[in-house]
Amino acid sequence: MTYIILIFFLLVLMVGAAIYSIVQKDLLYAVIATGVISLILSAIFLLLQAPDVALTEAAIGVALTTIIFIITIRNTVRHEDDFKDRNDLKSAIK
Amino acid sequence: MTYIIYIALFFMIAGLTMSAFRFVKGPTAGDRTVALDTLTIITVAAMVLLSYVFQRIIYLDVALVYAVLGFIGVIVIARYLEGAL
Repeated sequence: MTYIILIFFLLVLMVGAAIYSIVQKDLLYAVIATGVISLILSAIFLLLQAPDVALTEAAIGVALTTIIFIITIRNTVRHEDDFKDRNDLKSAIK
Repeated sequence: MTYIIYIALFFMIAGLTMSAFRFVKGPTAGDRTVALDTLTIITVAAMVLLSYVFQRIIYLDVALVYAVLGFIGVIVIARYLEGAL
């Protein structure tokens, strides 16, 4: 089964995108990295022969998560360092 | 016939690698958005190829849904960067 190589490559790419999403200070880039994670996870579900799970992951990961997080960033701050008080989330609202 | 599939998989892995490099390194938000769009398109092509390899017609539905929804996600990010969302 030579597609094991493709699964390993996609897993390495997904873990790299997850680490990038955690360490990134710009929240817009972190949201885009979350989209990459969802994309690769959907491809892995397809390779593991679960197309219905891949369909649900595509609908949730791209449409719902990205749009809601972008609207949240629009209403708050974009850079993580711009929080006035990290323990008070209401201080981030514009 | 199988050699063509292996060649296509090699080029897809090469394209994914280069797009991921641009995604990590890209200095502006536009670079990363276009890298996300490129990753989406290459993955949709890989899903269609896997649909042929495994001889499963339902895999095409996943590729169709991802092509439509990935477009919407990139449009939302672009509208945010434009400042008009």
